[in-house]
Amino acid sequence: MIELLDVRYSYPRGAEALRGVALTIREGITSLVGPNGSGKTTILKISAGLLRPAAGQVLVDGSDLWSADPEERLRLRRSVVYVHESPVVMRGTVEENVAFGLRLRGVPDEEAREGVREAMEMLGLSQLASASARTLSAGQRQLVALARALAVSPRHLLLDEPTANLDRENRRRVARVLRTLAREGVSVAVATHDRLLALEISDRAVLIEDGLVAAEGGPSEVLEGL
Amino acid sequence: MARSLAISGSATLLASTWSIPLAVKLVIGGDSRASRLALDLLNSLTSVPTVVIGLVMYLILSRSGPLGFLNLLYTPVAIALGQAVLVTPLITSAAAASLSGVHEVVWEMAMALGATERQAAGAMLREALPSILTVVLLGFNRALGELGIALMLGGNIRGFTRVMTTAIALEVSRGEFELALSLSGILLSLAIVVNVAIRRMGERR
Repeated sequence: MIELLDVRYSYPRGAEALRGVALTIREGITSLVGPNGSGKTTILKISAGLLRPAAGQVLVDGSDLWSADPEERLRLRRSVVYVHESPVVMRGTVEENVAFGLRLRGVPDEEAREGVREAMEMLGLSQLASASARTLSAGQRQLVALARALAVSPRHLLLDEPTANLDRENRRRVARVLRTLAREGVSVAVATHDRLLALEISDRAVLIEDGLVAAEGGPSEVLEGL
Repeated sequence: MARSLAISGSATLLASTWSIPLAVKLVIGGDSRASRLALDLLNSLTSVPTVVIGLVMYLILSRSGPLGFLNLLYTPVAIALGQAVLVTPLITSAAAASLSGVHEVVWEMAMALGATERQAAGAMLREALPSILTVVLLGFNRALGELGIALMLGGNIRGFTRVMTTAIALEVSRGEFELALSLSGILLSLAIVVNVAIRRMGERR
């Protein structure tokens, strides 16, 4: 579970992006919805420890991320994975890209290979294992970025517009994978403009407006007014 | 020719050992006032004439200078040190420009997957490797083609500190233009061969 307690954040030389957000990302799937620039991405990045809030607390499984010592903070950060809305792939093959997070964590080769294989299989990427990641389409890159996140088996998975570049089949596949993860106890947060996706997969929805939580509850209830 | 390559190669490697980590540091601290100031300063220093650096290094390495006790003046090491100082701003600012292209995406992606800052910097460097190689090559070419430092710190001693550029200058002063032109041709060919070889290496990676 990730808790944001009265979190405030301003980008350098920018307006206040979050103005006292109180939000809990618990087991299951939470959709963050709201207009562009409302603060959804900032919430995900703060939850992942990528941005430090100006005020307020970020609790990951009950531990304060920013008052923890560096070793503990790294451990907490490693339980959360954030996937950016513009999928980043690096030079090298798809397999190497998917293995990246496991290599960072020093996972032994054999275990890493198994993790990579499973993640690629889940997202239908096995055929592309030895393809150069840079030659992939935007949709395939998005799947690679997601597979890279899944390979490290995070307890908390934060996704920014995960289906933005996907066709119908892959969108359904991703939705299925996210539901499976949620059933296995992973807390998933999805920032999305895809109303149908939010309705289809979410257990909860949170409406973010102007840097604040404007509403939260069941997805149909929150999304009804949008 | 071998001496020119060895001296300028060592100078470039030496400068790269501090310039590239410095570039990483500056890119990571991108928004801070200190980083911006440092980058502005380094950009300005790229255009300092080689004789000015030669003069400053001469004063440092001369017998009465702070490093005079090392007896390095008029040795190949002195030329390499001078050239390393010369190419430091160039390598640092060009490497910082290359790295800032990958910083935003690769740094965040690596950190989002649980990288330490050191691991994220490593990922950023790996991703920018082809352009970093080009930057190092640029530094090598600058070192290979400079004259002021080699002349002031090396003294153009035959068989010891004479490099291609000082040899060309000497032949011109003697009126041996044909020989000077031949040496210039060799220097140019050398620069082209090294350029092409390193670029191909970068492409293969």
